[in-house]
This record gives sequence, C-alpha cells and structure tokens, in this order.
Amino acid sequence: MASDPDARPTLAHRSVSNIRAGGQSSARDSTSGAPHTPLRPLSTSAFGSPSSARAEEEIIVIELGCRKLRVGFAGDSTPKRIVAFDSEHDKRAGDYRAWEPGYEHDWRKRTAGKAWGSDHELCQLDVRGQDLGLVGDKLERVLRDTFTRYLLVDSKPRRISLVLPPAAPLPILSSTLSTLFRNFQIPTISLLSSPVMATFAAGVRSGLVVDIGWNETVVTAVYEFREVQTWRTVRAGKKLLEETQNFLVNALQGRTAESQAEEASTPKDIVSFEECEEVATRMLWCKKSEKTPKQSNTEQLPTLHEADESDTPDPAEDATPTPIRLSSCKPSKTIQVPFSQLAEPCETTFFETRYAPACFDDHELPLHLLIYRGLLQLPLDVRAMCMSRIIFSGGCSNIIGLRGRIFDEVSLLAQEKGWEPIQGKGADAYRNNPKLKRNPSRQTKEGSIPTISQTDPSGASGRGGLNVDEVEEHIRQEKNYRTPVQGVLRAIDTLGPWCGASMATQLKVPALAVIERDIWLQQGVNGASRPNEVDVQAQQKAQRQSMGTGGLIRGQGNQATNWTLGVWGAV
Amino acid sequence: MASFTPYTYIQCPCFDLSNQTRHSDGSPSPTSQDLPEDDDEDHAFDPRSPRSNYSLYPLEYLLYCVDCHQIRCPRCVSEELVTIYCPSCLFEVGSSSVKTEGNRCTRSCFQCPVCIGPLAVQSLESAPEASLLSADNASASGPTGPWALTCSYCNWSSSEVGVKFDKPQGIFAQLSKLRNGSSNTGADVPLTSAGDVSPTKRDANVPEPESTRARFSALRTFYQSQLANSSTGSSMGGGMGDYGFSSPAALTRIMSIYSGSTSKPKNKATIMREADVPNEGFRTSNLDESEAISKLRAEGYDGTVTMEQAASQVEEGAHFADELWPVASLLRTKRAKRCPACRHILSKPEAKVSNTRWRIRLVAGNHIPSVTIKPLPNPGAPPPSALAPLKPTQYLLTFKNPMFDSIKVTLATPATTPGRFSSKVTILCPQFTVGANSDDYDLNEVLKAEDRDQRDRRREDDGSHQVEAGKVFERGRNWVSIVVEVIPASLQIQPTPSILQKAGEPEPDLAPLREDEDILEIPMFVRLEWESEPSQDQVGVASSGKEKDAKEKRELAYWSVLGIGRISQE
Repeated sequence: MASDPDARPTLAHRSVSNIRAGGQSSARDSTSGAPHTPLRPLSTSAFGSPSSARAEEEIIVIELGCRKLRVGFAGDSTPKRIVAFDSEHDKRAGDYRAWEPGYEHDWRKRTAGKAWGSDHELCQLDVRGQDLGLVGDKLERVLRDTFTRYLLVDSKPRRISLVLPPAAPLPILSSTLSTLFRNFQIPTISLLSSPVMATFAAGVRSGLVVDIGWNETVVTAVYEFREVQTWRTVRAGKKLLEETQNFLVNALQGRTAESQAEEASTPKDIVSFEECEEVATRMLWCKKSEKTPKQSNTEQLPTLHEADESDTPDPAEDATPTPIRLSSCKPSKTIQVPFSQLAEPCETTFFETRYAPACFDDHELPLHLLIYRGLLQLPLDVRAMCMSRIIFSGGCSNIIGLRGRIFDEVSLLAQEKGWEPIQGKGADAYRNNPKLKRNPSRQTKEGSIPTISQTDPSGASGRGGLNVDEVEEHIRQEKNYRTPVQGVLRAIDTLGPWCGASMATQLKVPALAVIERDIWLQQGVNGASRPNEVDVQAQQKAQRQSMGTGGLIRGQGNQATNWTLGVWGAV
Repeated sequence: MASFTPYTYIQCPCFDLSNQTRHSDGSPSPTSQDLPEDDDEDHAFDPRSPRSNYSLYPLEYLLYCVDCHQIRCPRCVSEELVTIYCPSCLFEVGSSSVKTEGNRCTRSCFQCPVCIGPLAVQSLESAPEASLLSADNASASGPTGPWALTCSYCNWSSSEVGVKFDKPQGIFAQLSKLRNGSSNTGADVPLTSAGDVSPTKRDANVPEPESTRARFSALRTFYQSQLANSSTGSSMGGGMGDYGFSSPAALTRIMSIYSGSTSKPKNKATIMREADVPNEGFRTSNLDESEAISKLRAEGYDGTVTMEQAASQVEEGAHFADELWPVASLLRTKRAKRCPACRHILSKPEAKVSNTRWRIRLVAGNHIPSVTIKPLPNPGAPPPSALAPLKPTQYLLTFKNPMFDSIKVTLATPATTPGRFSSKVTILCPQFTVGANSDDYDLNEVLKAEDRDQRDRRREDDGSHQVEAGKVFERGRNWVSIVVEVIPASLQIQPTPSILQKAGEPEPDLAPLREDEDILEIPMFVRLEWESEPSQDQVGVASSGKEKDAKEKRELAYWSVLGIGRISQE
C-alpha cells in the first residue's frame, strides 16, 4: 500500500477526521473552516526525510478477548496467531506432567474447586475479587510465547494497537497496559474499539454490530464510526456451553430434557469443559425460524427453500441418530443423538421463543428481541442506516444457521410490529381510531423509513419549503456520492475486528486513545483524563508527527497535553 | 498414586519488582480480598497462589548475569534474533523475507492438517504411468501428472480437499495461488485458462474476492482510493503532510493559502463513501446456511474439524474436514539473550542452523547452589511413598556449591506452609557455609578425602544419627547436607465447629481438594553471601593503588520452593 511515499500526503486532516476510529466529534468542524497557516510542529517532518524510510515499522495488532487473543502484524489479512487460553498456559515452567499417560483422564482432579471453565478465560468481566496481577501474568506468558514462536520478533520496541471491546473493565485494561509497557518495551499503545473496527472491516461506516462473544452478546450501534449505543445480554458462549453440557449429560444418562428441567443444574464433573466446547463448536447448529419473513429478500430466499426441501427432509424433524464420541466421561461412550436435537442448546441459549418477551430480565433478553429493541431505541436516521448494516461477529456467530436465524427473527419482529415504540392494546386502539388520527401520512408502516434516496432531488426543490435541505443537496452533488442503502434489513459480512484494526493501523488512521509508555509508567491509570478534556487536535498533530518521522521525535509536542483512554474511561 | 520426585523451583527476583509496582500504580483494583496480604511486605511467598506459577522456574531454566550478579529468568531477558530457519528443511531464512513472506516456510515443508505428520509431494498417477514409461524407454522422467501432498502417517491427501499441483516444485506458491486467487488484488485479473500452468481447485473461478486475503486487499485498496480521492483535490488537505519544498504541491499550497477558499469546494470530495460492490471488499452475509446444515447431517461428528486441527490452521474458519488446508511449517528462531540492565550477553547460540551448540551460555546452575532433597535414611523402615499426616518426617537437603568461592547460606521458612493445609516446617540448621568448588584438585586427594569422609560417617553411624539443631548433618568438599523436619498437615476438610469460630474470621474454605494441594511445598528464602574476586573493570582501578587480592562482598537472595512429597489422604 503505502510503499510509495506519496501516499502519506493523503493523510490529510479532513480525510483523517472522516475515518477516524475513535469517537471524536470536535475535530470535524474545525476542518471545514477557512484555511489557516499550518501549525509549526508539523513542518519538522520536512527535515526528517531520511528517517521517513523508517516509518514502515512493524506495528503489532492485538485483539483482546476473554477467551482468545489474536496477535499479528498490521497490514496482514489474518492474525499470525490466535491463542485460546486454557489450563495448559498456567502451569509452571518445566511441568511436563501433561505428557504422562492417563493425564487426560485426570481432569476432574485438576478442575476440582475451580469455577467451571475458569482456567479457559483470561479474565472475568466481573473484576471483583479477581487477581489482576494474575491477568497480567497470563497475558505476559501468552504474548511472550506468541512473539517468540509466531511473530519471530526480538525485543526491540514496537508499537501496539490494542483492539478491545468498549466495555472492557478499566482494571483489566490497566493491568493489560501495565503488563505490555513493563514487560515488552512498548513505546506507545493505541486503543481501538472492536465494534468500530468490525464496521471498518466490513467496508461500511455505520452498522449494528452483533458480537456474540463468550461472556455476553453485545449489540452496538455504530454510526459514522462512532458508537451510538450498546445493549447486552448474557446469552452468549458461556451459556451455550453450559446448555451443551446439560444436553450431553442428559444424553449420557438417557434423560429427556423435560425430566431434567426441574433439576437446577447438572454436576460439572461428568463431561469436561474441553469436550463440551468441542461438541459445541463442531456439532451444534441452529434451526430456521418457524415462520419465514415474507417481504424482505423476496428475490432470494423462498426459491432456495423449495429446492432444498424437495429431496431431503427438513433437518429440524430429522431424527437420524448422530454418533458423538465422548471420552472425558467415565467410561468413555459414544452417544447417539437425534440430529434435530443438536439444535436444542442453541434454541434455549439464544432464543427461547416459547416464553413471552415479558418473561425476560433486562440482562437476559433473547438475541432477536435485543436487536429489535435496540434498533427501536435508535434515532430514526441512525436506525435506517444501522438496520441495513447488521454485522455479526464473535465466536458464536460461526454456529451454522445462527446468523440466519437471528436475522429472520428480527425481520419477523419488524414485520409484525413495525417500528412503533409504543405497543399494546391501548396503542393499537389509539392507532385504529380514525378520530384520533391527526397525521394522515404515517410513515412508520412496514418498516419503511423516510429515506433520503426516495425523495427525488429535482422534485423536492420544486416543492420547496420543508423538504429541501440545502446541506443534503450539497452532499448529493458530490461526485463521490452514492445513495446509501438504508431502511431495509440487511446483513453484512465483516472480516472481523482484528482485520479492521490491522487495516486501520496500516492506513494510519489515528486512534483517539494513544498511551505513551513514559506517561503511563509515571501516572498510571489515574492520569487519564476524560475524552472531552483532551485537546484532540494537538494530540493528532503529535501523532502524525511521530508517524511521519518514524517515531523519532515522539513525545515532543505531548508533554503538556492530556491523554485519555477514550471510551474505556477515566477515573 | 504416581511416584513423586522431590523438586526445587526458584523464583526469579524480577517477580517482586513487578508485583510491587503493579500495586503502587494505583489501579483502582477492587480486589479487596487479597489486598491485605499483598500490602504486607513481610508476608512469605506463597507457592500455592496462582500467580506464583508464572514466576517459578527450575534451576535449569535460569540464566545468570555475571555483571549484575542477578538471576535472569526467561521473563527478564531481552532477546535478539540470530538465525531464522525452517525446522523441517533447516533452510535459513533472512529476516527481511520473513517480513514480506510471513512466518512460514515458503519451500515445500508442510504439515498434515489432520495429524501433524510431515507431508510429502506425490504424484497422483504414479503407479500406472511409471510402468508404462519404463516399458517404453528406460530414461523416462519419472511420474508425471497432477501432484498432491500426502501424509505418510494418516494417509491424508490434499486431493481430498481438491488441491492438486501441476508441478512438484514451489508448492507454497502454488498453494497460496490456489487459496488466494491468482493475484493479490483479486478481482481484476481473471484466472488463466491455460490448463497446464494454472493449478485447479473447485470453484476457483469466482470473479469476486473470495478468500479473506483477497477481500482484505480489496477493501484496503478501496479505503486507499477513498483517502486519496477525498484529499488530492483539496488544496489544504493535500499540502498538510507534504512539506517537500521542491514538489509542485508546495507551490499550489502556498498559492491556495493566499487565494483563499474560492477554488476549494469545486473539485474536492468531502465524503468518503462506503464500499458497496464486491470488488471493493464488500459482501453481504450469506445467511442461508441450509447447505452447511445438510452437510453437517451427512458427515456427522467425524466430518467436522476438531478444535485442535482448526487451531493449527493458518487461517481460521475451517469447520468441515474438507476445509482443511496443508499447514506450512512454522519457522523457528535461534535467539541470543542479553541482560536487560547491563546489556551483557547471557546466552548466544551458534549461528549455523545445524549446530546446536552455544557460544556463550551463563546458566544459573554455575552460580547458585543446587538443592537436592531426599528423605533421611531411616534404618529399618523402607522410605514411604507418601507422607503420613501429622507424623514428623525428616528430610535431607543437600546444597552443592558450584562456585569457586565458599558461600555462606542463610535459610528461612515460615513456620507453617501457606495455604489451606498448613504443615509445620523446621529447618534444623538454617545457617551454614558451603566450601568452594575447585577445579585444580588432585584426583587422589579427592578420593582420599572421600574415603576419610566415609570413615567418619561410619563412625557416626555407629552412634545413631546426629540430627541436632544448629548442626550440619553432613559435609563434603563443596556440599553440605542439613535436615529439615516437617509435620504434614491432615488433608481432612472439615468445617470448624461453630463454637470455635471467631466472629471476625472469614468462612473456612470447604471446597474439595484442588489440584496439587496434597503436595507439601515449602517456601524457602535463600540468602547467599560470598566474597569474590573483584570484577574486571574494577581491577584496573584497584591495582594501581591497593593490593590486588582485596575481595568483594557479594550477596544474592531469592525465594525458592521445595516440593517434598505428597501427603497421603486417608
């Protein structure tokens, strides 16, 4: 990409502020003003011409999750290594008991007294009572191993871009940053938010990112690369694994799901965590929704359905036993599970359509309800953009059929209820009462949003008055302008937050939160200011300056400025 | 129960540093329950805490900086690359080509994606053709036709996933061509239709960027063009980063400063649009996965990829067995290690790949005494396999001095081991001196001395063992044995009777026995003092003035953990 040096001048103020990853808003208006004399520190890059060759330093991109860590170089399309935390990582050096015969069968002894699956996590989201030093230690060991064996780098200082969910707890972030700065001689770390990066990697600027992760599913509305709002639910990987475990134990003991229902929980030492995860990733699938949405995607879906169901029976009614070998139970056994039942854990974890929506607590809304309600809460414009850019990410979204199912359920909900925030009998009565109808042109029917694209520019100008927006007019006359797709439900593929960050870092998109090693070691997390207290422009200048000259004169302009952790908060 | 070998682990002193600073950085850690322990500086090291697993090393893992006189563990060294090579073909790779071509071998070294065996290139139609050719003319050029990678262990063949090669060389290039399309930009260049040059893979002829890499580069090109579009025209924006005064851009920039914003809004695109065609890396999700469901149904559990196999793949996302690709073998490095404080080289391997020797290696075993543990021989009774709870048992610790100076050793342990089951520990002789190791001794003298030792010992044996507080049990030329007495705790997990429970005390932990909790581990603080020759740089100064044999006092202190044995559970 930027192999030609001319690419750097394109890093202009305006364009940068357009694709900026963080949530700044203040820089935008300042760019559109009259031209002014460029400020002094920028020009230093002119004299550092030989050093600009060093600008192509390798930046390491790390995506931090509770279960997995992705590490690689900026500019690569795939991470060099994906680490899944497991119990093998917290052994002492020189502990080779894993190679002893019979080690696998001893898992009950090893996991005794620990929370189920706790040694497969880097950290819990609930940091109360957690040993943060341990989090740092785990991270340090895994990173060192990755750097040595997969990235093949030495201990030279390297900059790091850290991708993490916006809700990452501050203590965890603090521990992570301390570990990185202290143990790896990192000069700067930039923080990027994973939903924004997922949108970036999908090629769009707005979107509804549905991250079905380990601890929770987070739905984030991103509008013009800013996180607008998030909603979360505990229906995610952890719950799915627990359901899988129940399911497997039931199958082992020959019980049906109904008879098991009254028991609170199954003992955790029948099938090991590893095996549950294995089965969950390999065999689980997700049913189609009972009713298929009619109006949306009329051109594709129905025809495909007909063709498929002609020769084979519907998988949901297929009772052919599927053998699954379980070796962690005593004695190891091959269970025969009807294929249709393999969709049950997904059903109970993510949907639970048999219950009324009112049954669920705020923290455990089924996914489709969460997405629908989230969209409903968004402002009209944002909703129009977001609903046609639904982006699924996270480990559990790889379950076969899950994304389609969620999408269908959301479309069904939207079809049934429209985008009417008020529901219920009273609202219906009010709506159906012609006497109370004041505004005849109701626009909310059938999910159609008043889109800009639908109004013809010439016609609008002819009508005059309210409908003409001068700014919109200007925008539409841009040669680069294309009418954005909006107002229809549509799902988009993303390359994933890691790839987004890799691309963004390579394209030198500045992050809002950039933490310098010296400042962090001096001040720690308490030194961070709130994002709005930070002089964004000054910081960007400093950043760009350090980029242009390969970081040689880094920190020059930064001494007096505040720094921030961005959305990750300030104390 | 498996037999237990006593062990010694040493905690690198670098741990304390990070521990203290971690807490003093004022992170608002709500870890209220372990704060009181950590705040207490005098608190003994707890080998049971989960963090200690990360800082304990066997002696063999540790290096020693002779300048700083410090132990260096793998966490506190800085590394430098010496050689990068492929462990399979031992081919040395330059660091620049690692940057451009990635961390895997670009020759023909591949690992089987199912097992991890090495893959070999084999002709798919070797057998019939070879015989035909040999009948025709003897000098035939061997097997021809499509080639595939096959595993000789599990018989996996790349033809199973539809990967065939046209020539047996340059497998890596052919494979990446197959996987990522013909070019990096993906959509622009259609695949060549000449059958014998281009490798074939089912559905490789998709015009859209299909693979992750192709999509990535398409998307990147799109963003780049957007960045360029939105700023080339803009007079100010274009000039911002470019201050080369020789360039014509500088002139336009200066002109535009004075001419004001008149020409600005015309030719400049202020908005970046979104990607919306597949060529730009955009893709709507294929949400109809009924095909995959029926495939899952048809292939069953064995048709899917185990997590281990999926993890070893270069790109993630494989779900079915036919989505597995051969894994190019990962390159490996030889590294030199330096002390982070004084940049002194601690270990440096031979640069040649085939040579496994070290040029420099300063192992800690040459500088700090090793500790061996064995049960005190008890006449009459065979050594028990496990420690009996609540029964005093004596162990012999032997300290062996590798240095050429005699060292004074001071030991300290907490009276009871930390953790739920606290055993009582008494070191009978916590302070002693170990004689110097010398390399200029005469073998005969040593043998004589040994003989004398043994005679002494026999004499001692007659009058039973002198297990006495404050006295060394046994002593050799450069080793000393002392006795440590342990009273193992009982592993019964019982709630304390409610009468005995104090009001302020936390609830006792009644969880079942955790892993390794039955091992009796003694944290032991070791302090070494010795006098040595002054180091090289000081000699010059000292020799000018004072006498040369002025010795320097040194000390080193660290925590170590002694794994004594398993406590039996009855």
